[in-house]
Amino acid sequence: MGSLFLLGLIVFWDTARTELPAFNLTVSPKVFPFAIAILLMGLSALLFINVLRGDTAVPEGLEAGDPVEKSDYKTFALVLASLFAFLLLIERAGFIIAASITFFGITVAFDNKKHLRAAVFGTIFITVIYFSFTHFLHVQLPAGILKGI
Amino acid sequence: MNSFNSLIDGFASALTLSNLGFGLLGTFLGTLVGVLPGIGPALAIALLLPITYTVSPASALIMFAAIYYGAMYGGSTTSILLNTPGESGSVITALEGNKMARNGRAGAALATAAIGSFVAGTIATLILAFTAPTIADLAIKVGAADYVALMLVAFTTVSSLLGASQIRGFISLAVGLVLGLVGADLQSGLSRLTFGNQAAVEGIETVPVIVSIFALGEALYIASRFKELGWNIIPMKGKALMTRDDWKRSWKPWLRGTALGFPLGVIPAGGSEVPTFLSYSVEKKLSKNPEEFGHGAIEGVAGPEAANNANAAGALVPLLALGLPTSATAAVILVAFQTYQIQPGPTLFLTNGALIWTLIASLFIGNTLLLVLNLPLVRVWVQLLKVPRPYLFAGIVTFAMLGAYALNTSTFDVQVAIAIGIVGFLFRRFGMPITPLILGLILGPNLELQFRRALQISAGDYGTLWASPLSKVLYAVLLLALFTPIITRVMKKVRKDAHA
Repeated sequence: MGSLFLLGLIVFWDTARTELPAFNLTVSPKVFPFAIAILLMGLSALLFINVLRGDTAVPEGLEAGDPVEKSDYKTFALVLASLFAFLLLIERAGFIIAASITFFGITVAFDNKKHLRAAVFGTIFITVIYFSFTHFLHVQLPAGILKGI
Repeated sequence: MNSFNSLIDGFASALTLSNLGFGLLGTFLGTLVGVLPGIGPALAIALLLPITYTVSPASALIMFAAIYYGAMYGGSTTSILLNTPGESGSVITALEGNKMARNGRAGAALATAAIGSFVAGTIATLILAFTAPTIADLAIKVGAADYVALMLVAFTTVSSLLGASQIRGFISLAVGLVLGLVGADLQSGLSRLTFGNQAAVEGIETVPVIVSIFALGEALYIASRFKELGWNIIPMKGKALMTRDDWKRSWKPWLRGTALGFPLGVIPAGGSEVPTFLSYSVEKKLSKNPEEFGHGAIEGVAGPEAANNANAAGALVPLLALGLPTSATAAVILVAFQTYQIQPGPTLFLTNGALIWTLIASLFIGNTLLLVLNLPLVRVWVQLLKVPRPYLFAGIVTFAMLGAYALNTSTFDVQVAIAIGIVGFLFRRFGMPITPLILGLILGPNLELQFRRALQISAGDYGTLWASPLSKVLYAVLLLALFTPIITRVMKKVRKDAHA
């Protein structure tokens, strides 16, 4: 909630800060960002008031009044870590390695007991995808350190 | 222009071997994602958007249309056998359909859903074929100021009718608008919200945003409330067939569902929840045995399923004729058009007539294929539910990352994707609807463009925005959509207080 207000402020500040180009336009490129920033700040203030009056957020898939269980941070962190692994490895190690690690990481996060099977299956799956994209759809993906094999 | 002849030509080009192949693949994939809970048609099409880099426009659009229709067939299977609606339009189907399955009438429920979807889809596509060109003809006269009004109406209805909280809908919209701002301004070249990042100057790509807000957001959300959830599939006995009595009780709800679903798809009424729910209550009112409702009444499956399909076809009318998406899936299809440098809108039938008629013809073909594919093969689809969930999520997430990276082969898009994934998670956790965000992101830049165009024509006079009769009507509709939920809430409260 606070972050939403902050987002509005950032948009406002960035818009106010930038200097207009020299030539004249009927509508300045600042009108729109200003309008959105004000909208966003106004809405977050309204939401804040509503939450204070007892309208708390209902997570998706639950009905109002259902108990909100505690979040499972371990699984969440593992999934997020798998995503960052892809970001860090894609250009350094290549698509096959990066994506296989992401795939494996997520199966582990979702409590798959058979680690070896998941790793083997994931790597085969990713390799098949790699070759079908590069050879049949002609989408270039980085080969990385496996280049030449 | 003669719609009928154009349609025949459309059939001729849709029935080539490769286009038919893509259509078949689309129906297959669509049913697949519909059956699997948690993957909707919007996500499925977004995941497949990378193929637009290499496949021809006709083939890709035929496939996407088939996925669009197919996901609804698949969704009904899951709601009936699993009581887990795969997409929002199937929530009502789950209500009665699952009860029927528990009573050992799964076959009849699946049959009335599939045949009802076929009937509704065929009728609605026929209406689409004959109304969309007419609307497009009228829309050519629509000016820039009217477009501004039209887009504002779409924003308002989608934000305030979806989900429980109007404010949260609008916040979602505003976040989408902010994302649409990032990058160089089209007219002045001014960099906005880039913070000196070179990659950001080109703007945020819509494809990775859509993919990650659905796929990564969902994966993170499920992870955050992860427990070992088993699926309780109700075994299906016998074949997916209906008795003579079932037919007699189903055909009227099918037609009524179509009549409700199509018009509510054409106007931006916020997706398929409203028409399916309306159809359900209409059938309950008209039924000779209303006591059966809640215990497995076949009318309660037949009507909403037909409404759902007709609604999906109806949503294609504003998309093709005005370039205005009214649902998340329609928005993703709009992005697919745009990657081919085709802008849906009034001139679409003139500039890309052959393509559009091929698409419409393929909707008929896809609908027929789906009926053939679904009724006898329903057992095969059910087997799919046995794919272990960890593998399913791992596959979806890796595909999403691949799509984000492959678009420009840049890690900036992957960073954006992860950030948006976290936004998607927070939205789900705090009950914010996602569709308004996507509409804001896609239509926001367009709105700004039309807004400036209108003001340039009028030399800076803001009065031009509500000068035309059409825009006046549209702003009236906007106010209505904005205040109806508030008024009904107040009325309810007053009535409650009066009783107390």
